[in-house]
Amino acid sequence: MAAMPKALRRAGVAAVAVRGLTRGIVTRAGRPRHRTPLPRTPWTVRGPPPEVLAEMAEPRPVREQVELDTVTYAERLHYVPGLARPRFPPWERGWRDPWHSPGPRYEEMPLYKERGCYICHQGVRMLEGVRQAQWLTKTKLVEGLPPAVQAIMDNPALGLQELEERAKHMVSHARLWDTAEAAPRRERYCPMLFENLIHICRLMSGKYPSLSKRMLARNCRIAATWERESILLQVRGLSGILMNSMTPIPPVASKEEILATKEHVLETFYPIAPTIDLQEVNVYKELNDTGFRDGYPYSHPHTLFFLESASVRTDRFRPEQLRAKMLMFAFGNALAKAKALHGNDPKVLEQPIVVQSIGTDGQLFQFMVFQLNTTDLVPNDGVKNLVWIDSDQNLYERAQCVPEVKKGVVTKPAGISGFQPDTFKKFLALYLHGTV
Amino acid sequence: MPDQVHRAARGHEEDGRPRPHRWAGGKAGAGGLPGPAGRGGSRLQPLPCPAGRVRVRGIGGGHKRRYRMIDFQRLRYEEGAPPEPFTEKVISVRYDPCRSADIALVAGGNRKRWIIATENMQPGNSITNSPHISRMAVSASEGDAYPLGALPVGTLICNLESHPGKGAQYIRAAGTCGVLLRKVNGTAIVQLPSKRHMQVLETCVATVGRVSNVDHNKRVIGKAGRNRWLGKRPHTGLWHRKGGWAGRKIKPLPPMKSYVNLPRVKAVE
Repeated sequence: MAAMPKALRRAGVAAVAVRGLTRGIVTRAGRPRHRTPLPRTPWTVRGPPPEVLAEMAEPRPVREQVELDTVTYAERLHYVPGLARPRFPPWERGWRDPWHSPGPRYEEMPLYKERGCYICHQGVRMLEGVRQAQWLTKTKLVEGLPPAVQAIMDNPALGLQELEERAKHMVSHARLWDTAEAAPRRERYCPMLFENLIHICRLMSGKYPSLSKRMLARNCRIAATWERESILLQVRGLSGILMNSMTPIPPVASKEEILATKEHVLETFYPIAPTIDLQEVNVYKELNDTGFRDGYPYSHPHTLFFLESASVRTDRFRPEQLRAKMLMFAFGNALAKAKALHGNDPKVLEQPIVVQSIGTDGQLFQFMVFQLNTTDLVPNDGVKNLVWIDSDQNLYERAQCVPEVKKGVVTKPAGISGFQPDTFKKFLALYLHGTV
Repeated sequence: MPDQVHRAARGHEEDGRPRPHRWAGGKAGAGGLPGPAGRGGSRLQPLPCPAGRVRVRGIGGGHKRRYRMIDFQRLRYEEGAPPEPFTEKVISVRYDPCRSADIALVAGGNRKRWIIATENMQPGNSITNSPHISRMAVSASEGDAYPLGALPVGTLICNLESHPGKGAQYIRAAGTCGVLLRKVNGTAIVQLPSKRHMQVLETCVATVGRVSNVDHNKRVIGKAGRNRWLGKRPHTGLWHRKGGWAGRKIKPLPPMKSYVNLPRVKAVE
């Protein structure tokens, strides 16, 4: 009888001794198992426990603050363990430094409004492209150029044929002979090509003196505000190069064609909102401004030129987005002009306003003729605006600045290949449109 | 006067006012690259730990990568939108250097965001995100996001979250998928790609289908240098993986991982 408790005791002692001996020594048995209940697993693994969840849901009662003098190490001027970290008020400079001032908050700005406004500016790349711009501007799309422009192109009396050789020469100048480098970059040749083409167009003013009543405006700003199905929209800021004329372009579409647009149904693109990629702002001014003072003689917007001359491909607009931008800005210019002429009341215009736009990246041309028929843009039905788009017209196939030589044989000679005079004719026809 | 708009639009981020997340930045749609650059010239270096010790060995160098902010929370409603099912359209599916799976740019409403693409996701597809759990299981198509309780048992899922609203953290690697095994008492049991079982609340959102880039495991690295391009540094050579001579070790599966905190039942005295 006495042996058993003794044996038990001995075993217990042995176990205690073993445990005592192996404490702190890493054995091969692996990690010791927990004897106590497992510690609370952190949030990231098990999620907040119900107590914590309940605590998070309920606002904690505010405890009375007991004012105690916190001893900080502020006077010692260095860190002292055990003393609290001093908290100083934020440093004031004492004067206003424009480089280091956060500026006023949006809410405190005088132009702040509760209702947001979607702004289309020159940097906006629309995801849905022309379809989206069509919805925003309530426009019906017609492929190709309008018959009035086609008639100018096909008119043999204008003598466009003689200018073709000259145009090819100008392309060669911009692409090949402009610099001493092997090849000019797009940043250089794209504006140069535009200048050259405009130069040829101006030569026509010998035949048509009214062509000299044109003016090119660079860095002009536009502001047009309109509403579309409870969305406030604006076209704002710098755009391309604007050519103004003294006389407006006559309407391209007839009255019947304008009335026929009532049946047209605007395309939507659910689930994407039509305002996607536009910039939403709350600080804005509802302004309609053509960018020119009253009494400016060249007051009618004629053609907008968009040059996509960035050398880096990702910085350039893709053709679809460029067309959307062209449509938005042509519309903006027309709307600002219409509001300046006929006031802010929405109505169907007696005398539609036509604005053209041409976009290019130095090779590929986009032509567009926009006609503003109505300023009543809120409802989806009724008369729509009209746009004619002739897209992706190459002026030339390839500009080989350095001849390609393989095994001592010139495979591709230097020069412009695949020149397409039709594209130049379209450019010239849009220039002449409204005068001839 | 146009200046005033633009000055306001240029933004004053430095004054710490809350700004909405922009999952796909301004240039995203144009093929540009959104998101902040990583540390060390965008090279994914091992992060420094406070004491200056190496936490993970074998990472360093490699090609520069651009980070794209992925929205792992598929049920993230647009700002001001009601918690209702919504659809999105896939704009593009592309490679992402920061993960093995491909990513998809989706647009819906006024928002664009990157998500992890599923196997057959194509540009132009419509995908649905729904928070509703109805009594009948939905017939979901691939790429849709539903709570686990809404899906039929046996569905292949990916991008699973462990807690409702936390964002997906499971089954995100290329070509992986999990199986919804059963639904018990407000919870769902999912078989992970490792064959381990996991129990989560049935309100946890998962994407239907298999993660894209299925052939990720078939690619041939070819040489040691390509692993260096990927940012993997060489092993010392001391350790060798056991080959076929070692036989197969059959280990029991670890127990089911539970992320469910059920209220504890108190013993009746």
